[in-house]
Amino acid sequence: MKKILLTLLVFISIKGMAQDAAGVFRAAGSPENPKVSIAWNRYYNHDGITDICKKMAAAYPDLVKLGSIGKSYQGREMWVLTITDFKTGKPEEKPAFYMDGNIHSNEIQGTEMALYTAWYLSESFKDVTWVKQLLADRTFYIIPTINPDARDNFMKAPNSMHSPRSGMVPVDNDRDGKVNEDGFDDLDNNGSITQMIRKSSTGRFKKDPSNPNRLVQVKADELGEYEYLGNEGIDSDGDGRVNEDGEGYYDPNRDWGWKWQPNTIQNGAYKYPFSLPENRNIRDFVMAHPNIAGSQTFHNSGGMILRGPGVEEDASTYNADDSRIYDAIGKKGETLLPGYKYMIVYRDLYSVFGGELDWFYGSRGVYTFSNELFTSYMYFNKQTPDDDGDPSEAYEFNNELLFGDAMVPWKEFNHPQYGKIEVGGFKKNFTRADPGFLLESDAHRNMAFCLYHAYQMPKLSVEEITEKSLGGGLTEVTAVIKNERMMPTHASQDLKYKIERPDYISIEGVKVVAGMLVQNRDLNITKEQKNNPAVMEVNNIPGLGSVTVRWIVSGAKAYTIKVDSRKGGVVSKTK
Amino acid sequence: MKKYLLFTLLLGCVVMTGYSQGYRNHAQLSQKLKSIESANPGLAKLQSITKTAGGKDIWLMEIGSGDRAIHPAIAVVGGVEGSLVSSQEVAVGFIEKLLASAQKDSVKNLLVSTTFYVFPNMSPDATEQYFATLKYERSGNAFATDDDRDGKLNEDPFEDLNGDGIITMIRVEDPTGKWKAHAADPRVMVMASGDKGERGNYLLLTEGTDNDKDGKWNEDGDGGVQFNKNHPFDHPSFTPGSGEHPVSEPENRALLDLMHDRPNIFSVVTIGPANNLAEPFKFDKSKTTMRVITGILEKDAGVNKMASDLYKKYVNTKESPAAPPSKGDFMQWAYFHYARMSFSTPAWWPGKFEIPKDTVGAKKFKTNDDKNTDVEFIRWAEKEGLDVFVPWKKITHPDFPGKVVEVGGFRPFVKSNPPEKAIDKIAETHTKFITALGYAKPDLDLINLKTESLEDGISRVTVTAFNKGLFPAVAEVAERNYWVKLLNVSLNVSKDQTVVGGSRVTVLNNLQPGESVEVSWLVKGKGAVTIEGGAPQTGFKKINVNL
Repeated sequence: MKKILLTLLVFISIKGMAQDAAGVFRAAGSPENPKVSIAWNRYYNHDGITDICKKMAAAYPDLVKLGSIGKSYQGREMWVLTITDFKTGKPEEKPAFYMDGNIHSNEIQGTEMALYTAWYLSESFKDVTWVKQLLADRTFYIIPTINPDARDNFMKAPNSMHSPRSGMVPVDNDRDGKVNEDGFDDLDNNGSITQMIRKSSTGRFKKDPSNPNRLVQVKADELGEYEYLGNEGIDSDGDGRVNEDGEGYYDPNRDWGWKWQPNTIQNGAYKYPFSLPENRNIRDFVMAHPNIAGSQTFHNSGGMILRGPGVEEDASTYNADDSRIYDAIGKKGETLLPGYKYMIVYRDLYSVFGGELDWFYGSRGVYTFSNELFTSYMYFNKQTPDDDGDPSEAYEFNNELLFGDAMVPWKEFNHPQYGKIEVGGFKKNFTRADPGFLLESDAHRNMAFCLYHAYQMPKLSVEEITEKSLGGGLTEVTAVIKNERMMPTHASQDLKYKIERPDYISIEGVKVVAGMLVQNRDLNITKEQKNNPAVMEVNNIPGLGSVTVRWIVSGAKAYTIKVDSRKGGVVSKTK
Repeated sequence: MKKYLLFTLLLGCVVMTGYSQGYRNHAQLSQKLKSIESANPGLAKLQSITKTAGGKDIWLMEIGSGDRAIHPAIAVVGGVEGSLVSSQEVAVGFIEKLLASAQKDSVKNLLVSTTFYVFPNMSPDATEQYFATLKYERSGNAFATDDDRDGKLNEDPFEDLNGDGIITMIRVEDPTGKWKAHAADPRVMVMASGDKGERGNYLLLTEGTDNDKDGKWNEDGDGGVQFNKNHPFDHPSFTPGSGEHPVSEPENRALLDLMHDRPNIFSVVTIGPANNLAEPFKFDKSKTTMRVITGILEKDAGVNKMASDLYKKYVNTKESPAAPPSKGDFMQWAYFHYARMSFSTPAWWPGKFEIPKDTVGAKKFKTNDDKNTDVEFIRWAEKEGLDVFVPWKKITHPDFPGKVVEVGGFRPFVKSNPPEKAIDKIAETHTKFITALGYAKPDLDLINLKTESLEDGISRVTVTAFNKGLFPAVAEVAERNYWVKLLNVSLNVSKDQTVVGGSRVTVLNNLQPGESVEVSWLVKGKGAVTIEGGAPQTGFKKINVNL
């Protein structure tokens, strides 16, 4: 016996030494020796994502489950990670936080933000008490990419940092009866679609003397040397236009079933709400998981924490009660995410009819943010004068911190239609996607913002049970149900349109004579529920507030009071 | 016994045949369409585009000869509103009558160059209620919906309290009631008008009980999502029957997908509740200046007027009541979102009634001072010998113990559907109209071809693209909609020839009716070239030219 014990001790110490031998020491807030080792300074295509998801699910079977919400247009699985402490309650009975990334296929890093969140939660569960409690209370549904087809196209096929954005369903953009007949052409065969310029005596541009890779506009009275010819490409179909009908184009974020409008009103709309298979999969998933109370989608770029409404026409949907909650979370985000600004889509950005975040809120009553990841602020931790396009800081950052890796220098090319031109510019992985060494930091901060949001989802408890004898074997049972967090069980949009059913507060194990909602306990003002009094229906349990219900029962010995709320979870207390 | 059974079966068949003039249930419709298809090879093609939640096929009958996909087309859509069961019969009547005359030269020539996509019934789950043991006007499909959004499904349906197999109304004598009997006909219930110092003395409810004791009667029964409330133009979100979002149902999605895949459709004719054929939509500038337009555009209003005039040539619309479109309906979607000229008609409406001029006749009727339409209708129907009303009759009702409760009211379906014997005539006039609409299609022609020989083997080829139809190639609402194709005129040359002037492909943004555009090219080289022009909705033309 002693021998066995000794062996065991030796084994344990060897294991401990092995850790030391790995030469690691924990940095605050990061898992120093994760079961699933992932490099967070690079991007993953669909195969890479699949591999990571499977490894996490295998490493933490009690914390991570991998499923698919369906297949994409080209048949890729759309993975969903369900993350919660599966040993403390059913996932569907906890308030849930939904997260997705990459709806716009070129906006790739949302996927890594989502994967990082899944990874961090599962790897930190044992060491960080706060995370442990969070996973006891909440469920996370994380879909790393909701546009897997075009994500792979972005990475594997020639694209610019702005393409495809769309998914891969072909569309006849120029209305000539042919689809995708004239897309980009990778003239220099480097996988990135960059710019074409040509020397021209009437051009209005010149090369920036201090950074010749940069083309700048000349002054009004100055003679220029170059003209812009647009993205790399040729007139493939001989119709006198270049690159007018490539991959896509539609915008998956103009396809959602709330205040949708057709492509005449906003370019990018596809056929009708949820006409795209990927979005239908998400719709089905969300409709089947009414416990989703908060959600987050990731885009790039510009450092924005966006919320709806997407259009002025929908301004009345977001009322004051819900705006206060949005503001509290959004403002917290500005602190957690230096360089990011909390903004309202239609007011501070542009109009979006039928966007994802408006569907989540308008149609499902779920508080939702979209973050535009990465900002030029992150080049030198200061605001650049113009966040749009390519500020000079981008060139300096590329030269001094990336040592030129993000740039294709100008190179001459003989174009079949334009003659002698020069091709060059930023590669597709720069200006919108996070550069490698900033990716983990941006992911962690965005995750922290989401976890704050998830923390503030409703958390219900049976706060108090009081009994009073009424004589004749009858007892009055009064129960106070508390919501410990900021969000109500029903957003005001939800209440207005009865999106989710009322919360049920039930008493089991006694004979119920009558049930009532206590409107004012001090003054004893109540409202009776005549039908089915054992299951009291309350419209809402307000954030950081409570509701009180009362029953008159007979035979009050042992009974259970259960709260069953779609977005607030299921809790109970036995007396 | 066996013999008797056989005889009954035979008799049944005879009765069924006789019934074919009348309304068909889904099985009879399917059978009918299949037999039409097999009787018209090469002209009629039947397919099921999807199945509803109730497992019923949504049928599409394609009519036309040759390559139907490249001929200008009209979509004819029935059953958008489930209670309008006659609309299916109008659509089937159109199919039958069009095909019956397919050997006549005029129709034969039309079908060589024009396609009709007929969807007889988009609400088969709902229309089946007409044939059910319990008959009531139903609009929703078989998908179980929580109409009152209380978390419970179908918990408060109708009940047939008087056992007559149909759902009518109940009225309850109650001083708090808002309803009263109409002065001209006490069978008809009207809201008491407080403005006129009136007070109600009846509650008026649909026939049934308050099963879930929520103070509402029959607010959440069987079904479902309504086809005609499930479209994204002006979608009535969160109202019963509208669906959790626009285009949530398989039948809506299948139809919309199919129509998007048929760029040759230039017009959509709905047999449904709205009517913009008796009275065309008028251009109202204030509805077209916001980015989300809610009114017909000016040029399109002209096309609507043209179609309406054509309609009135065949259909007497004098007594047709105003029938505006409704939120989330199909006919507005077809115009505002699908961007094709969209027309709709209920195809039938009850006639008007006038009190006889002679004193004996006039004495039978009290004057209908407020022109109440129910009073009008009941009088017209009784004159026509139609049984449209179930007389009020006392019952005991569990929700109203000790109160006077009566069951009665208009029979379901009678207000919006014609008597079965009238269907044939309606189908005939509407077949004439839809056929005439086919003749009016946008029609591209390439005319005035001219070839001129310039020096050194260079030729100038000139042609005029001309729209000889009564529809524009592209409706104004579609000018910026990529789902509607543009006209292309192109010159195809061989490798020994070069286009040295002009654009090989010319894209025309539009051609109005009667409008033309001249296109020319300079070609170097001899031999044959071809000019091709058109778009799916205008048809394609091809000319061979020898240089």
